[in-house]
Amino acid sequence: MLENIALIKEVHHYKSIVSAEKEAKDYLSKINIENISNNRVIQCSNLEIFYVKLIRALMTDEDNIIIVLPFSITANLTDVKSFIDNIYMLNHKKILILELYTNKSKYEGILCNIVK
Amino acid sequence: MFLRFVEGIGSKTLSIFNSFYEAFYFTFICFIHLINPKSYSPAMLMVLVKQIYFTAVTIIPLFTMMAIIFGSIIIGVVISLASVYGLQDSIGSILITFSVDEFAPFFTALLISLRSGTAVNTEISVMSVNNELNTLKEYKIDLINYLFLPRIISGIISVTSLSILFALIMLSSGYLFTLFYMNMDFHTYSSLLLTAIELSDVIILLSKGIAFGFVAMIIPIYSGLNTANSYTAIPISVLNGMVKLFIALFIIEVLSLLIQSI
Repeated sequence: MLENIALIKEVHHYKSIVSAEKEAKDYLSKINIENISNNRVIQCSNLEIFYVKLIRALMTDEDNIIIVLPFSITANLTDVKSFIDNIYMLNHKKILILELYTNKSKYEGILCNIVK
Repeated sequence: MFLRFVEGIGSKTLSIFNSFYEAFYFTFICFIHLINPKSYSPAMLMVLVKQIYFTAVTIIPLFTMMAIIFGSIIIGVVISLASVYGLQDSIGSILITFSVDEFAPFFTALLISLRSGTAVNTEISVMSVNNELNTLKEYKIDLINYLFLPRIISGIISVTSLSILFALIMLSSGYLFTLFYMNMDFHTYSSLLLTAIELSDVIILLSKGIAFGFVAMIIPIYSGLNTANSYTAIPISVLNGMVKLFIALFIIEVLSLLIQSI
């Protein structure tokens, strides 16, 4: 997973492998999943794969990140609060979540702007 | 009926020309990336090191064994024929021309094509079918720089360096046979070879290694890229790629013989 995340910085910013992987590991540590650093995709849960994809998106130069239907990406997502908290913890960019109106109740009590 | 036949020929011809144009355009683009220093990112260099390791280093034991067996037998046959036909005086140039100019690069190219060409073709096909190539494109990772260039460069380095190794093993075996057939001591043998070898032989070996290495990778890559979007298309892609690769290797060999004969 570490190689997978670090690749973006290595290619776009010509960062050395060591420093790009350190940056990737820092992101994983922020949400306490550094244990998956050396795992392959098959060894990770859906949620861990989702976080890796999100971190990979954070490594790009794009200003905005759009997550479309997170509940469909991570099928067994139950604790939405910790999920959103982790996104806040990782985030230094504007993140937009596109969600179905029927899932509105799942976001109740969570600190985020909901726009209809 | 006749019109349809003519149309069929025209359509087939256009399709052949179109695929030739696309293949040459792809080769040209890869070459442009090859000479651009910006193509060489740390990630690309890491892939390159791994590719060289898998293409050139891990094959060394098997390659050396095959070079000793095949090289020795073939060089033995050449030396025995040379002595039968009274060509002992020209044995140095015969050995150099046969092993350095012709046999070593061609045999190495065949071996690398069989081992790494098929692997690269399958790898790119699987990545294409699994949409991994599209994911890399989404992240604006240049496929040529990250995936194709390391494989092409490793092909060139591997075929060239292994050709040199093969030629050295053949020439070493040649000493044993000259000792056996002609009672030739090592000093005479080595001075014969040193007298016979010319700069042109080294240039031929290197340029054939580069040309063979380049096609041994670029054709499987191109074939893998054009795989249809299903798993059953992967073996078809590998099959087509390998046929095209062997045709290309033979064309290069024939062209080099023609150039040398001029």
